[in-house]
This record gives sequence, structure tokens and C-alpha cells, in this order.
Amino acid sequence: MSGGALPGLPPADMLLVLAVILPLFGLLPLLLLGSRLAERLTLLVLAAGLAVALGIGAEVAAAGQAATAFIGGWRPPLGVGLRADGLSAVMLVMTAVVLCATGLYAMTGPATPRAAGERMPTAFWMLLLCVWSALNLVFVAEDLFTLYVALELLTFAAVPLVCLDGKEGQIEAALRYLVFALFGSVLYLLGTVLIYALYGTLDIILAARRASVSPGLVVALAAMTAGMMAKAALFPLHLWLPPAHSGAPPAASAMLSAVVIKAPIFLLVRFWLDLAPESLAVKVGPILAGLGAAAILMCSLVALAQHRLKLLIAYSTAAQIGYLFLMFPLAAAASAWSALAWTGGALHLASHAFSKAAMFMAAGLIAEAVGHDRIKGLTGLGRALPVSVAAFGLGGLSLMGLPPAGGFVAKVMLLSAAVHLGNWWIALVILIGGLLAGGYVLRVVVPALQRPAAPLALRPVAGWREWVALALALVAVGLGFVPLEPSAYLAIGRPASWAEGAP
Amino acid sequence: MTAGTLGGSDLLLLSAILVPLVLGLAALKPWVRRWGPTLALVAPLPALAAVLLVPVGQSVLLVPAPFRLTLALDAPGALLLGGAALLWLLAGIYARAYLKDDPERGAFSVWWLLTMAGAFAVFLVADVASFYLAYALVSFAAYGLAAHDDTAEARRAGRVYLALTVLGEALLIAAFVMLASSVSGANPLIRDAVAGLAQSPWRGAILGLLLVGFTMKMGLFPLHVWMPLAHAVAPVPGSAVLSGIVVKAGVIGLIRFLPADLPLAQWGMALLTAGLFTAFYGVAIGLTQSHPKRALAYSTVSQMGVVAAVLGAGLAAGDAAAPSLAAFYALNHMLLKGAMFLAVGVAMASGPRHLRLVLIGAAVLGLSLAGLPFTGGALAKYAVKAPVGEGGAGILLALSAGGTTLLMARYVLLLAARGKGADPAAGEAEAPPALLVPWAVLSGVAVLLPFALFTPVTGLGLGGLFSLEGIIKGLWPVALGLAVAALLYQKPPKVSEIPAGDILALTQGLRPALRGLLSAAVRLDAGLRHWSSAALALVLVMVALAVAMGEPQWLQPLWP
Repeated sequence: MSGGALPGLPPADMLLVLAVILPLFGLLPLLLLGSRLAERLTLLVLAAGLAVALGIGAEVAAAGQAATAFIGGWRPPLGVGLRADGLSAVMLVMTAVVLCATGLYAMTGPATPRAAGERMPTAFWMLLLCVWSALNLVFVAEDLFTLYVALELLTFAAVPLVCLDGKEGQIEAALRYLVFALFGSVLYLLGTVLIYALYGTLDIILAARRASVSPGLVVALAAMTAGMMAKAALFPLHLWLPPAHSGAPPAASAMLSAVVIKAPIFLLVRFWLDLAPESLAVKVGPILAGLGAAAILMCSLVALAQHRLKLLIAYSTAAQIGYLFLMFPLAAAASAWSALAWTGGALHLASHAFSKAAMFMAAGLIAEAVGHDRIKGLTGLGRALPVSVAAFGLGGLSLMGLPPAGGFVAKVMLLSAAVHLGNWWIALVILIGGLLAGGYVLRVVVPALQRPAAPLALRPVAGWREWVALALALVAVGLGFVPLEPSAYLAIGRPASWAEGAP
Repeated sequence: MTAGTLGGSDLLLLSAILVPLVLGLAALKPWVRRWGPTLALVAPLPALAAVLLVPVGQSVLLVPAPFRLTLALDAPGALLLGGAALLWLLAGIYARAYLKDDPERGAFSVWWLLTMAGAFAVFLVADVASFYLAYALVSFAAYGLAAHDDTAEARRAGRVYLALTVLGEALLIAAFVMLASSVSGANPLIRDAVAGLAQSPWRGAILGLLLVGFTMKMGLFPLHVWMPLAHAVAPVPGSAVLSGIVVKAGVIGLIRFLPADLPLAQWGMALLTAGLFTAFYGVAIGLTQSHPKRALAYSTVSQMGVVAAVLGAGLAAGDAAAPSLAAFYALNHMLLKGAMFLAVGVAMASGPRHLRLVLIGAAVLGLSLAGLPFTGGALAKYAVKAPVGEGGAGILLALSAGGTTLLMARYVLLLAARGKGADPAAGEAEAPPALLVPWAVLSGVAVLLPFALFTPVTGLGLGGLFSLEGIIKGLWPVALGLAVAALLYQKPPKVSEIPAGDILALTQGLRPALRGLLSAAVRLDAGLRHWSSAALALVLVMVALAVAMGEPQWLQPLWP
């Protein structure tokens, strides 16, 4: 067993296990507590979990290799291994930061307690911890069946978040989400079974070593990929996303759009960069990118036509997912530029998480203050809710790919790779997507900067909740100060192997 | 270049950008914002000091590779930075008085400071990524200046401006990405990236994107449509900096990103032609305008056409001196146009007696812009003769000065109509000193400063200019313009005013098409989000993936 690479930190393998089980341990007492104590306890767990995620990130950086843990000391193929490489560590930290912010945002203020009916129910906090545990497991598991369990836990924790208020529309949206996610799970399970039948192992790394192109593998990969696309709501499989993400309470929307949707995409990266033989990845890349391009163009246009703020943001998520799929043919190409595309994709994923969470939170506060979220009625809001509008605007800046936001650097990286690899249509889609994002973001921000025809009647919202949203948006902007070159950190632990865990 | 320790002049360059930026961000806080109009006076001082104290050629690497954040003061940059700082200072004094009763002046000063930071940065940064950032900052912050009055007109102008700005940003990032890729390492210096242009496989695409992106900011036909709208609706000092300084972001863009010593005949000729056409087009449309600010905005369109023509001629010949000369011309325009916009506000506050003096001042400014001998403008016109040459382009350039004279005559007449002359109660009304003094100082500087800078920039003596031949060459276009103006004044032709934005009206036809596209997208989306179609799509996606992977033999039995 490898010890801690850094003095003063627990060993890396312990941290990996903690990342998964800490939220679950936090969950148990919540069953017994009222909502006020529940939120306080959850916040403590969130803080501890953030520390764990940062610890893993630091260990991976210090060791320069992936952190591993073997449950019960049994190495794959006998046992189950957990493994965090550079990308996993980034995802863990990103998730922890977004969820901590979500927790703060959803918390009742010490000074201005909200009415009892408006407090988030205990169920919300329990679901939040479930989502977190499931996400962390997705990011560190290397075993297809463990991943299946994690995906199911994620789905079953995310679906109730959509219908937390129990309104009619929400329940319908949640059901859509549930059923379609189940389709995805079924396909994933089918692929898993096929791979086990073919290679006798569920471990991704070991299976990849044995993998050779065969009809079975092709069907397995096709099924698993389609399943993950359904869960990621990639166009044209996005039927469930707009109602689910726009109907949920704002704190839940932030979580769903920012991090939950990223889990299936993370797995697609694992499948196509770690598991599948390169010859297949090259062939599938254009299909994934083609659907991504369709998502960007179609969903951005539909976002432009929306009348409600939360629906606009939800369609924007469906569009931004597309950028992550553009990465596949670029990252799979055997070229020096694929490393840049890969860094750009990861950066886009992270900056979208922060900016989208900020935008949903801001939209929630705006709806709370104004009493509705019709875009037409938001003229002059910039004066009344400057911090929320700034959070929305800065989040939007990143979506538009303007400097100095993280979305800008990600866009430049993807563009550079696309241009160098001769994928001109991908470059064109990236540029048009930026224009359309500019359209739907400015559609909200510009009227907000104007003067209202009549003074807006506003209900007060807690100022610090606005600042939580703004802080997330500033993180998204801060990612713009990442150097414009392939990230060495993301390359840690790649290509994947179990060598790091060697005794 | 030194990394690590920063010398005094390095810090001065840095503070030229940071001071307005930090003040602008600080003014987001309401209690700071109350002091906004005063802070706006402090903000341009470091830039002014930098131009006076930092030697040209100084460059400083602020953050080493991979960021490579670099500032550099070269000759064109120094000219434009100095002019911008001066105009910004005087316009700031003016704005403080002009907006003193405006409850929103605090918000105006936030945009003012941010635009200033972006404009100074654009003249100073030397690496590609920082240039893009600075360019985006000056472009987007300028929206706040244009749309400040928040009237229906201002909102429309703001929308058009933002739409074209977002488009311009997209074109430029595409160009920058291709340009930077010829150089290894992240974020190259602009100079190094441009040096790679000669070998770039995408040279044509890069040049096309750069030209469209930057000339959009300069207002070259047909991408000028936003300029008359935006510059006419802003408050007077806002118009002065928009028309004087912000458009120069496009000029410095062309200066920095077009190769100085690589002759590109076709591209150069294209830019020259577009510039000359715009020079006349701006005059033609400007003459029909009924508001002095719109006439001035069209004059800016026309003048930027001249700058583009000079840069185009330089590009065609690979003339390394052209960029500095174009910057000299742009500096001349910056100060004159700023002063002419400020004159509009002064005239509106003046009664008949004082108005006459204001009109004389405005006429001198106009004649200087047209290049009347013994004014600063004549030096600018003379300086740009060399790259354009004496041929057809040179004659057209001289004729355009006649057009400018005509448009300036129109401007002075419109200015007279805007004064309080018609109001008998106004009588002895005089513009307050806080408006009058900055305008008068700026006017004086605008007419005289080129004399001080001419020899250092061009390397020529003033002798040729004051020879009889030189005087005649400068005089005939102005005389021609004045003669035509007199004729038109005697017998005004019946021409109706062309709405600002002229050819923008043609895009009205696109609106229903756009709406149709959106509703088609919504309908398609609604169709795809049905259960049946989504489930079918899921199956199809899976099949498509399998087919894509499985082109080998085992699928062949399934094929007929």
C-alpha cells in the first residue's frame, strides 16, 4: 500500500475511500434529524469532503502519479480498485466546490431565517449527499459494475431532486428523466455483461489490455455509449433535460446542470480513451462530434427562443454539452494537438460546471425576488439585484468564450486543435456556438442593464446567497488564467494502468 | 525584456492600464462610484506620464511563459496612447460638468473607466492573448457609453453595436488561433506570430478574417452601420471618446497584425479600395444628416476610410513606414474629432453672441481635418501622401479632402442650428467654463500638436510643406470643397435625410427569416422531444455507432 506522498496528509488510498463513504456516513444521522440540524450537519460534511478532495488533488500532484486504493487489499482482477488520475482529481475537486457552494446557497441564513415552508427539506440534504457519493464513485471507480452501481445511485438521487416541491409539472419531468435514464442504464448494463463475457473481467484497465476488435466489443461499446449519451442528454436524446433542469428548485438545478450531467460524459471519456482500442475510437469520434455539433446549433437556437430564464439556461446546458463531444475526434487523433484538445475539453467541462451553477443560482434568486422568471420582465434588474445579475453575466461570459473567462481558454484550445487537425467544420461550429451563446446571454443581460419602465417590486433575498453565486462565477472566470498549453496535471496517470499500486 | 524586477518605466506602463481598470472596478461599489466623475480625471494621468517619460521601444515581460504577458511602447502605440490619454483627460473634465445633473453619472463613469483601461491596454500590449482581452474590454465597455441615455434609439444602437461586436470577436479569435499556430509555445508575441504569416498555410483566411474583424471596428463600408447609430446617441463626451479613441482599437489592430514588410499586393489593394470608397461614402451619407453628431459620426466613417487606404497602400507595397504614418493621421483625427464632438455640447449651451465664436472654432477644426495648409491636419494629410503615392489613389485621396471640407461645412451649419440662437431668452448665454475650457484647450492642441510631432514621426522637414507647391497641393481640395459648399448653400438640393445606419435598413428583410429559423428550431426540438422520436433516436444512435465501428467483414453478410 502506498503511503501519503505529502507529510501531514492521510495516505492517498484512505482519502479515495473517504471521498466515497464520507457522504454516506453523513447521510445516516440525517434520517433522525430535523431540517435545521440536517442542513448544519450537511455543511460540516461538505466542508470535510472538500478537504478530502483537495487532499487527493494535492497527493496526485505531489506524487506525479495516480492515487490508488484496493478494497480489502485485493488487487484487480480479484478485488476492486479505486484510482484517481489527474482528470479524476480535477473532477473530484470541481464537484466538491460546486456542491459546497450549493449547500451554502440552499442553507437558511443565520440572520434572516426563511419561513419554515421555504426551508429545504431534510430530503434535499440527504439527496445532495447521495449525489455526491455517487459522483465521487464514478470518478474513482475503474470497475464496470461498480460504475453501474454508482450510476444507478446517481440517477435515483437526482430524480427526486427534480420533483422536490411535488408540483405536477415537476413530477412529470422527473418521470421522464427517470425512464430515459433507465433506458441508459439498461444499455450500459448490456455492454457491461458483454465485456465480462468477452474478457472475463470488469476492470476497465485489464479489459482494455485484452480488448481486440470483435463484434461483441463493438456492440458493447455502442450500447454503453448510447446509454451514456441518453444520461448526458446529448441531442437528440435531450427530451428530459429542459423540463427537469428548469423545473427543479434552483439549488437542485445548479447541481444537476453543473455536475450530475458530467458523470456520464466522464465515463464516455474513460470508455473511449481508456477502454476502446484506438482504431475504434477514431471511427466513432466523428459521430460523437456530429451529434455534439447538432446539439450546439439546435439547442442554442432553441435557447434563443425561450421566454423563461430557467428554460433558457437549461437549453444552454443541452447546447454546452455538445462542446464536450466535439472533443472526441480531436482527442482521439494521434497527434501532438490532441493533448491540447483534451485539456480544452476538460477545462470546458470544469468552467461550464462553475458558470452554469452560478447562472442557475442567480436565476433562482432573480425568480425569488421578482416572483417570476419571464425574461421580458427583467428589464432594469441590474440596479435592483446587481450581484445576481453580475453572477449571471460573468457565467455567461464564460459560455460565450470571451476572455478572461475559463470558457475562452477552453474554446481557444479546442479551436487550435480543430484547425491543426484539419477539422474545419468543428472550428466553425465552435465559433457559431459562441455567437449563439452571445445572443442568448446578452438577451438577458442587456435589458437588465437598462432602466426599468416602472420600478420593480422586489422581495428581499439574502445578500450572501447572491455572493455564493457570484463566487462560483468568479471561479469560472478565474479558470481563464490557466496557461494555453496542454496541462501536465491532466496527463498524470495516463495512459491508465495499475502500475502505481504495485507494492 | 526583463522578468523579475520591474523598473520605474515598466511600472509606469503597467499603471497606465491598471489605474483606470482598478478605479473602474472599484467604482462598482456605490460609495466609490459617487466619486466616479472625479476619479475619471485621475485615471488617464499615468498613461500621459508614460508617454512623456517612457522611451519608445521599451518593452516589459510582466508574466513569463507560458502566459507571456508583455507590454511594449512602440511608435504607433505611443502616438495613439498619448493622444488618447490627453483626449480622455479633457473629455473627463468636460463630462464632469456635462453630466452633473444626470443621476446615472456614476454608472457612466464605471463604463468610462473600463473603456479607458481597455483602450490604453490595446495600445500597449504586445502578446496575442492580452490583445484579444484588451480589445474585448474596450469593445464591450464602450457599449455602456453608447447606450447610456437609455432611449429607444440608444437601445437599438446598443443592440446593433453588440451584435457586430460579438461577431467581430468571433472572427478575430479565429484569425488569432490560426496566426498563433505558426509559432511554438503558448501565447506568442504579436510580432512573432505575424512573422510566421508568410509561411502560414492559411494566410488568405487569416488576412481575410483580420481585415473584416478590425475594419468593422473602424467602420469601413459595409460594416460601418453601427457607428453612426452608436456615436450619435451617446452623451457628448461619450461620443468624443467613442469616435476619437475607441475606433482606433481597429486601427492599432491593423497596424499590429498586418505584416509591415511583407508586400501583399492583392490584400493591400482590397483594403485601399475599400478605404477610398468608404472615404467618399461617409461624406455622401453624412451630408444628408440633420444632427451635427450624426454628421460627425459619418465623418469618422470617412476618415477611417482614409486610414484604411493608407494602411492598404502600405500593405500592398510592403512599406514598413506606413503604420507609423497611419498612426500619425489617426492621432490627428482623434484629437480633432474629439474636439468637434465637444463643440456640439458647447454650442448647445451658447447664446447667439458666443455661438459665433464657437462656430469659428469649429470651422477651424473642420478645416484642419480637411488639411488646410498651416493647420495640423495639413501635416497629417502630407504625411500619408508618401505611402499612397501620386497616382490615381493619391488624387482620390486629395479629392476626399474636398469631400471632408464639404461635410465639415455642413457640420458647422448644423452646429449653428443647434445653438440657442433661436431662443430669444438665451441672448447672452455662455457655455460654462467647465465645458468651454477643455474644449478650447483640446482644439488648440489638436491644431498645433502635429507640428511638434511631424518631424520625429516622419523624419521629414516642414520645408516641403510650406513651399508654394506644397501649399497649393493642400489648398485646392479645400477650396474645391468650400466652393461646392457655397453652391449647395445657395441652391440646396432636395435630398431627404438618410436614416443613420443607412444600409442597415436592408437587413430588415432578415428579421422574418431569423424569426422563421427560430420557430423552425423550436418546432423541430418539440418533435424530437416526443417519447417516440427520442426512443427511436436512441436506437438509431446505437446502431449508427455500431455500424461506424463495424465496417469490417462481419457486418458484410448483413449487407445485400
